[in-house]
Amino acid sequence: MNRREMLSRYAMGFGALGMTNIFGRNAIAANDSLAPSQRNFCPRAKRVIFLFLNGAPSHIDTFDPKPELVKHEGTKPEGKLFKAANAGFLPSPLRFDHCGKSGLQISESLPQLGKIADDLCVIRSMHCDVPNHEPALLQMHTGVLQPTRPSIGAWTLYGLGSENENLPGYVVLRPSPKTVVGPALWSAGFLPAKFQASSVITRDMSLDKLLANIKGPESSKTVQRQQLDLLAKMNESHRKRRGEDALLDSHISTMETAYRMQIEATDAFDISKESSKTRESYGNSDFANSCLLARRLAERGVRFTTVYYTKDSSNQPWDTHENHYASHAKLCAEADKAAAALINDLKSRGLLDDTLVVFGGEFGRTPYAQKHDKKKPGRDHHHTAFSMMLSGAGLKGGFAYGESDEFGMNAVVDPVHVHDLHATILYLLGIDHERLTYRYGGRDFRLTDVSGRIIHELMA
Amino acid sequence: MLRVSLKHSSVIGMRSIVLLLSLIFVNGDLQLDANESDINWEEARKFWAFVNPVKNDPPNSNGDEWIRGDIDRFILFEMEKNGLDPENDASSEVLIKRLFYDLIGLPPSSDEVERYKEDSDEKKYEKLIDHLLTRSEYGEKMASSWLNVARYAEDQAHQVGKDEKFFYPHAHRYRAWVIKSYNRDLPYNLFVRLQLAADQIEGIDEEDLVALGFLGLGPQYYDRGRLEVKAEEWEDNVDVVSRGFLGLTVACARCHDHKYDPISVADYHALAGVFASTAMHKRELNNQHGSKTVIHVVADGKVQDLPIYNRGDVQDKGKIIPRAFLKILSGENTKKFTRGSGRLDLAEAIADPQNPLTARVVVNRIWQLLFGRGLVNTTSNFGHLGARPTHPELLDYLAVSFIEDGWSIKRLMKRILLSSTYRQSSFVSSDKRIKDEDNKFYSYHNKRRLSAEMIRDSMLVVSGELEHGDSGKKSGLISDNKNLRRTVYGRISRKELDYYLALFDYPDANIHSSSRDETVTPSQKLFFLNSPFVLARSNAIASALVDDDKMISIEKIYRRILSRPPSAEELLNAGEFIGSGKEKERWSGLAQNLLISNEFIFRD
Repeated sequence: MNRREMLSRYAMGFGALGMTNIFGRNAIAANDSLAPSQRNFCPRAKRVIFLFLNGAPSHIDTFDPKPELVKHEGTKPEGKLFKAANAGFLPSPLRFDHCGKSGLQISESLPQLGKIADDLCVIRSMHCDVPNHEPALLQMHTGVLQPTRPSIGAWTLYGLGSENENLPGYVVLRPSPKTVVGPALWSAGFLPAKFQASSVITRDMSLDKLLANIKGPESSKTVQRQQLDLLAKMNESHRKRRGEDALLDSHISTMETAYRMQIEATDAFDISKESSKTRESYGNSDFANSCLLARRLAERGVRFTTVYYTKDSSNQPWDTHENHYASHAKLCAEADKAAAALINDLKSRGLLDDTLVVFGGEFGRTPYAQKHDKKKPGRDHHHTAFSMMLSGAGLKGGFAYGESDEFGMNAVVDPVHVHDLHATILYLLGIDHERLTYRYGGRDFRLTDVSGRIIHELMA
Repeated sequence: MLRVSLKHSSVIGMRSIVLLLSLIFVNGDLQLDANESDINWEEARKFWAFVNPVKNDPPNSNGDEWIRGDIDRFILFEMEKNGLDPENDASSEVLIKRLFYDLIGLPPSSDEVERYKEDSDEKKYEKLIDHLLTRSEYGEKMASSWLNVARYAEDQAHQVGKDEKFFYPHAHRYRAWVIKSYNRDLPYNLFVRLQLAADQIEGIDEEDLVALGFLGLGPQYYDRGRLEVKAEEWEDNVDVVSRGFLGLTVACARCHDHKYDPISVADYHALAGVFASTAMHKRELNNQHGSKTVIHVVADGKVQDLPIYNRGDVQDKGKIIPRAFLKILSGENTKKFTRGSGRLDLAEAIADPQNPLTARVVVNRIWQLLFGRGLVNTTSNFGHLGARPTHPELLDYLAVSFIEDGWSIKRLMKRILLSSTYRQSSFVSSDKRIKDEDNKFYSYHNKRRLSAEMIRDSMLVVSGELEHGDSGKKSGLISDNKNLRRTVYGRISRKELDYYLALFDYPDANIHSSSRDETVTPSQKLFFLNSPFVLARSNAIASALVDDDKMISIEKIYRRILSRPPSAEELLNAGEFIGSGKEKERWSGLAQNLLISNEFIFRD
């Protein structure tokens, strides 16, 4: 079997190809000058579920308590502002209880997550490069502000391959096709096309709506097996006339995989098979259904799943410029219930130990009000300090890392840039972010470009 | 050799220092203050790609019987050196199909195959090539690959709200121009010049202004008023022009001298200045009937030379670099560009017969199209990080002949198609496959999966539903079930590539692409099994061809889809599956089987 034949045989992304990617030509060539001696790390996580809160949640109303703001209510912030402060500081009216044994402070808008605070690892010192949705979304997904680069899910799949040949390895679940930026967030960029995500619209959970072409017309079901037996005969004699041929073999076996997928994927994507108790624990929302589906996929070996919090009525619901607290409460109620249920569910199935759950948006929201509107204040985009919540994958529980300043304006203690978050996620998956490279257009590219600090302090 | 300037370190902050240190760490010899370059130009000019091609005499070989022309001499010489024998000609059935797919992207009909097989004319193969080169579908097939080189698309990756002001509703005019250019065999040097500078060439047809869509349909990024965003757009232009026409990765030199090729950060900015002096432009064209249409082109804007932006940072300006061509391709004295933006100067420098790369790069692209791999396997990177030519003398022979032939793509293709090398069989022993790994010696012909365009078009043509021709219409959505036009006329999106196109390896339209993957995935097979598109074609064939006689109906279906009659065994098996012949879905199922069979989706 030559290289070309091997590649096509493994074109579905088996683990074996992933290993050749990490240690094979591309990666090694990139690091010739470093004379690599280090192995990649022992993986703590086998898979990732990223719960993405589109539009950016407010850090000071969720994971980053700022009591100092009360004293300064109405005072205009000083220093360089990226978004105008027409009104002064706006303290959070929400209570931050000390939760769990650890006493991790979490806002009352996230009561279910509060109950499992000892399983949560919060970063309070996130920052990214710009306070605008499109470039910040791209950065959180690809490390770069402009489109066309591979997303972290594609990099992961490139590095590790998939665990289940009957399912896609990188899946994007989004309730609505309306997503700001859109497919550039989950594209393979210059990586081979097979590493891009399979995007699934989840507002209608019936199978044929979820998966393209998974079902044919009902009437043909009775003859499909006979038809495929006939096709196998044809393809077999076509191949025989051409001698040994791994490429044709792989087309023949992939047809059979597709046939089986009609059953396997049908099973994986069917959340109606969950008990009513489980379904109730996640809640009854598009986001909840998507979280539950993400768990079914993780169980079956899907490597990277991103669940977006979008709605047909809003492509970025968390972008609460006006009447922030009314929206925030509603959004948190859904997200809190579903995310906590997911973490509990993974834990009870023994999956949380090797699954990383990430919960957050593209940036945070301003600690000051956007307009003079005392009754319905809004918060603007804020990128110099925000929070990100992680869980599972052997991370410390009930732990908060890094600090923003007393107003929540800037990350000041142990700042964590998006590149650092990416480096850490790859580390947890057993990948050295400096060695996961791909040569394109004459250059070796990395997810983390020339940056990225692995935050070892998060790990238990 | 490490010369890092830290003069800005006080203002760039801690993160940047970490970044800077890791830069040094990663790249070792990276040079950050790149105002002057340490390239040894004399030494650099000795690299094969920068030495002008010469037409060498083909070597002598023993296999006189197999050799039909000079190409075969070059190819056989290398085969013999490596202990390989060539394959004989493929059968007539295989050859006619191969020519049809490679030249017009569609399969021949059963009648065309029969006639070709029975034709006793010694020149029938050549006659067939000549015929196919005159068919209008030829331009459609050729344009399919050029549009990827040109990263053709009709919208933007970024869209704020419902804002479509940066979209290109008339993009199809450029596509139509590319198709027509191939059909009229526009000399390639003119093809290049028109796409870069048609507005500055005197005496051309107004219609040819559309060619500027090569630049005028480019990506426009979010918040493009800002200098750092403009700089990204210039990088796109430098990238598509340098990789597309020259096979050089000049965009790599934006932040520092190219680590491997003799391209300096000054070279990058000398070219970027041309695009900084060029602006997107909507132009009105007068139609024959007095009406007007808009085309998306470029025009000269505020002419400017750029400063070097150190490490790609637009806030950190170095010395001003005059607009000019790449030093490595300019001989002793780098010629500065003086006319307007310099696009015409650039176009002429690229299309110059003395440019060592332009002809080689295009000849190699055509070779790749016909053999599945280029003589230089990295068709858009002829630099040090690219592959070396497997047959350097053949590449040069083809490049020089191509220029002598007036830069004619059709004559180049015919020259290659007439060779024994191209006509070889793809039916080979696994022994041979092991010996000639990757088939880099061309000791057999590569079997290839059809492209996205060819699969869809072929299904439509055998079902008798294909709507031929363009008639100047706007793009249709591939996902629209009523759209029965050739796939090349489908709308190409930067924001969200059509599901079908992405499924079958159509490249990301945001960036220049030099080749297609040929993946095999379960999702593709699900498309074959259950998609409304495939089911509609299957039904159309079944309803058109099935009548009372079961065996005759089966034969008709085979002939229509696979352009051949069924074997006795196939007839038997199909007959068994069809059963009484009364179940309509079984007839559709048989047609579907042939449409999704490996025989249909591969060309030998």
